[in-house]
Amino acid sequence: MYKGPSKERRLSQKEQRHPNLIPLMNMFIVIIPMMMMIMVSVHLALVGINLPVAEGGGGSELEQEEEELPKTITLALLTDRFEIMVEGTKEVNKIPLLESGSGSLNYDFISLDQNINLLKKENEKQTTIEILPDPQVKFDILLRSIDICKNNGFPNIKYLTVSKKYYQANP
Amino acid sequence: MIADKKSKLKISNKKPHSVRDLNITSLMDILTILLVFMLKNVAMDASQKNAPEGMFLPTTITKDKLIESGQAILIKIYPDKILYGKENIKVGTLQEFMSKRETREALFNFLKLEADEIVNVMQNKPCLLIQADKKLECRYITEFIKFSASAAFANIYFSSIHTDNKDEVLGI
Repeated sequence: MYKGPSKERRLSQKEQRHPNLIPLMNMFIVIIPMMMMIMVSVHLALVGINLPVAEGGGGSELEQEEEELPKTITLALLTDRFEIMVEGTKEVNKIPLLESGSGSLNYDFISLDQNINLLKKENEKQTTIEILPDPQVKFDILLRSIDICKNNGFPNIKYLTVSKKYYQANP
Repeated sequence: MIADKKSKLKISNKKPHSVRDLNITSLMDILTILLVFMLKNVAMDASQKNAPEGMFLPTTITKDKLIESGQAILIKIYPDKILYGKENIKVGTLQEFMSKRETREALFNFLKLEADEIVNVMQNKPCLLIQADKKLECRYITEFIKFSASAAFANIYFSSIHTDNKDEVLGI
């Protein structure tokens, strides 16, 4: 003879069953602090530079190729100014330090940005810029200058490590 | 009166309410969203995890990538010390690096050994990742670049803090 479900079973079937979330909660309580520990709050970036390659002697074909090469652009970071030199032009673009509101002198990165942007428009084929920092210039200035160059379409930065002195005679 | 009493009795005969569980479903929703958000933000790049302690890095917009099959060796240059590799092996001070032959030789041997292993054993390209304090003078950086180039590191990278705000770089 068929016996229907007992009273208790009937009652339990009627009640809405909730999934047991406690193990999941435990897991979350472990995972979330762990994630917070390893989460990177400061994102680091890499800024690549190229080293100057020793130039060898070339034949006539190479010389012909060189004629078609874009002009070399050199950015000198000096203690009191930026100087931009373009191969083949005698004119040196000088960007002196700017006096800020507090009276301190700061590098004029805005003018540098504008000048580099202009140079890119004039030398569209050129993707490399040479950087020659003064030994006393701070690393921050160097990296910000590199960043400005890269941001304006010069992805290749040639860091000049040659121990040659750069002088510009004042007229 | 009797009816009222009966009804009261009936009520009192009822079973007491079972203790209601705390509804944690909404909390679970929040935690799930939080977990997904964190999983998205956790950097999987090993180079991003090595933010040096006590060092002020410059800020840049540019974000280059390591060359293909490149393997980076880390050098941290503080104003008062030089640390080599992920293990932070102290090589010496900057002054020692510039003037002492032993310090330079020790660092050169480290770099050369590592570069040889990367090239010959791992068949990769050795890259040098320089993390330097922003107040450091460029003469040290230049010296390090020259030095590492002589130890067969042709690919050199600087570490910086990434920003999307150009004004920050321009100093506005």
